[in-house]
Amino acid sequence: MYRKSQRGGGKARFYQRRKICRFCVDNELAIDYKNPKALRQFITERGKIIPRRITGTCAKHQRQLTLAIKRSRQIALLPFVGKPLY
Amino acid sequence: MRKYETVFIADPDLSDQARADLFDKVRNIIANEKGILLDFDEWGNKKLAYEVKKKQRGHYVCATYAGTGDLVKEIERNFRLTDDVMKFMTIVLSEDMPAEAFEQEAEEAAARKAEETEETVSEDEPENVEEADADQSDDEPLDEEAAAETKEETE
Repeated sequence: MYRKSQRGGGKARFYQRRKICRFCVDNELAIDYKNPKALRQFITERGKIIPRRITGTCAKHQRQLTLAIKRSRQIALLPFVGKPLY
Repeated sequence: MRKYETVFIADPDLSDQARADLFDKVRNIIANEKGILLDFDEWGNKKLAYEVKKKQRGHYVCATYAGTGDLVKEIERNFRLTDDVMKFMTIVLSEDMPAEAFEQEAEEAAARKAEETEETVSEDEPENVEEADADQSDDEPLDEEAAAETKEETE
């Protein structure tokens, strides 16, 4: 994977470092919507979901992560916008 | 029967009696509709990530049970009617399976809980411990096996 420097926004490098999906490597890690602490690593300060080109997760686990984060938001374990109250 | 998981947030300011009544009502609904309650996990009062009904904290409960779609409809209908439940969410955990599979799980879960709460060792308990351990190893690796299989496929 490489990105053209004309695109701007993010890295201007020609070749991107290949990151490993941490869920593929470690089968014990379960993506669970009831565990906001683990999911917090994958959302930004404002509560947005971090794209997988930055975290390095594979497509399948990114989809599971997204589902889990959206479920967590529904039951007020993660915020929709902004920092959580605590 | 499918396996469902419902997380609901009860009012944190409820009295203990009112809260016990609410939980009993949920258990009764599950029993009346011929469902099998597998787990009733109370997380207690937690701070919410955003205000719900003008409250900052809520009493979380995660109930795992097996039943039909009608059971879920009944539970949710009751949640909507009462003011004590602020939010609820139900998800499906497993597909249609005959009732016997869940009854076995329920017994194991009860046996596990019994050995956690009881500290005295009685004659009956070693049998329960063996069953619980033997069956526990069957249940949990379901996820691990699936993950291991997918890992092998990607490799």
